Amino acid sequence: MLDQILQELPRFFSYYNLLFFAKALGVTFALSAIGCVVGFSLGFLLAAVRLDSRPAGRPLRIASTVFIELFRRIPFLVTLMLVFFIFQGLNADLAMFTVALISVCLIATAFIAEIVRSGLESVHRNQWDAAAAMNFTYLQTLRLVIIPQAWKIILPPVFGFFVLFIKDTALASQIGVVELAFAGKTMNNKGFSAALVYGTVLALYFMLSYPLARFGKHLEKKLAPTRNR
Amino acid sequence: MQFDYSPVLERLPYLVGGAWLSLQIAFLAFAFGMLLGLGGASVRAYGPRWARRVVGAYVVFFTNTPQLVQIFFIFFALPDAGILLSPYQAVLIGMTLNAGAYLTEIQRAGFESVRLPELEAAETLGFSRIQTIRYVILPHIVRVLFPPLSNQYILMTLGTSMAAVFGVEELTGRAYNINSETFRSIEVFSVAAVLYIVITLIATLSLAFVGKRFFRAKMRWF
Repeated sequence: MLDQILQELPRFFSYYNLLFFAKALGVTFALSAIGCVVGFSLGFLLAAVRLDSRPAGRPLRIASTVFIELFRRIPFLVTLMLVFFIFQGLNADLAMFTVALISVCLIATAFIAEIVRSGLESVHRNQWDAAAAMNFTYLQTLRLVIIPQAWKIILPPVFGFFVLFIKDTALASQIGVVELAFAGKTMNNKGFSAALVYGTVLALYFMLSYPLARFGKHLEKKLAPTRNR
Repeated sequence: MQFDYSPVLERLPYLVGGAWLSLQIAFLAFAFGMLLGLGGASVRAYGPRWARRVVGAYVVFFTNTPQLVQIFFIFFALPDAGILLSPYQAVLIGMTLNAGAYLTEIQRAGFESVRLPELEAAETLGFSRIQTIRYVILPHIVRVLFPPLSNQYILMTLGTSMAAVFGVEELTGRAYNINSETFRSIEVFSVAAVLYIVITLIATLSLAFVGKRFFRAKMRWF
């Protein structure tokens, strides 16, 4: 097995193969980065809506709770298939990348909303009451009182989720998005040995995710001792 | 769009059977992963330096690469080395190794959460070593570990859908089959999604009940 891999090496690391992998890496990166940004913004919004206890916000609150609870319980692969077939049914002619991107944003939003919510809730009840006593509106309470205290608790698990999330995008290969996992399959079909191909793909994923994981750990250490209770 | 759920609902027992297989895979991978994680966490706490390094590398590698590609590797690359696995075995091994890495980290954090004053208090009360473990350390660890472990279990239940990619006929795999038989795609996958929601909800609720009732763990119903 080893001889075979050594034999294949020069052919495998040719210019065009490397270009192919680099492009695939770019697609994986784009999927995860856009998913993270959109997921974080929408997730924050949903969490804020869910915590709003004013009676007028009730329908929105229920809607966001249902969205969060549902999408956290459907596997990514099934979400992907559903989004894919729904757009097909609507006769919308979308690129596979867009379909994958939409599903990625959906699940990222749901998972991050949950993280943000538990972060916001971890701020002591008295802080909410004090803000209410000062006649702050809900948005003012969030912006001036709660978020400044909660972001330290929210950030580390959010980075933990980003790391999980880069890896989930591998499933986008199943609908034919040419990202890293798909590039691996293609190269394997071209006749390169599976150990070499998937080894390379694993290494590339590792390169993408490890620095982020390290940064998350660093944040966790840096932010942990200053918890205000 | 027009929906016709009848051909899917006719095959509902077939799908539910798939859900049962999903639960089996998740449970087995979780159980083996727990053992692996227990070993890993103990090595990280008490092992010699080189063994700690090895476990550390294992955890870092498996938590930073996608499970799907890991199983690709196990399923497609190991036959070159003479190890031929069925799809079910490959998925189970991949999920176990992956779970083992996460569970090592979780259990290590649990062990570290036992504080020295608790042990000193037990000593002051004249507890024997076994009593200390039985009445102080274990209840503490279980209480701290229960919520993250049940969370991991739910995530793993969702992760079993990957098995469909390798042709294991669990819930998603059977949804694929019905899809190619009936071409009722949206209907099939929405029913599969509902089944996933149902099985994870049942798992969440029963785990929260057990955790709150028996281990005084801080858990939420939702």
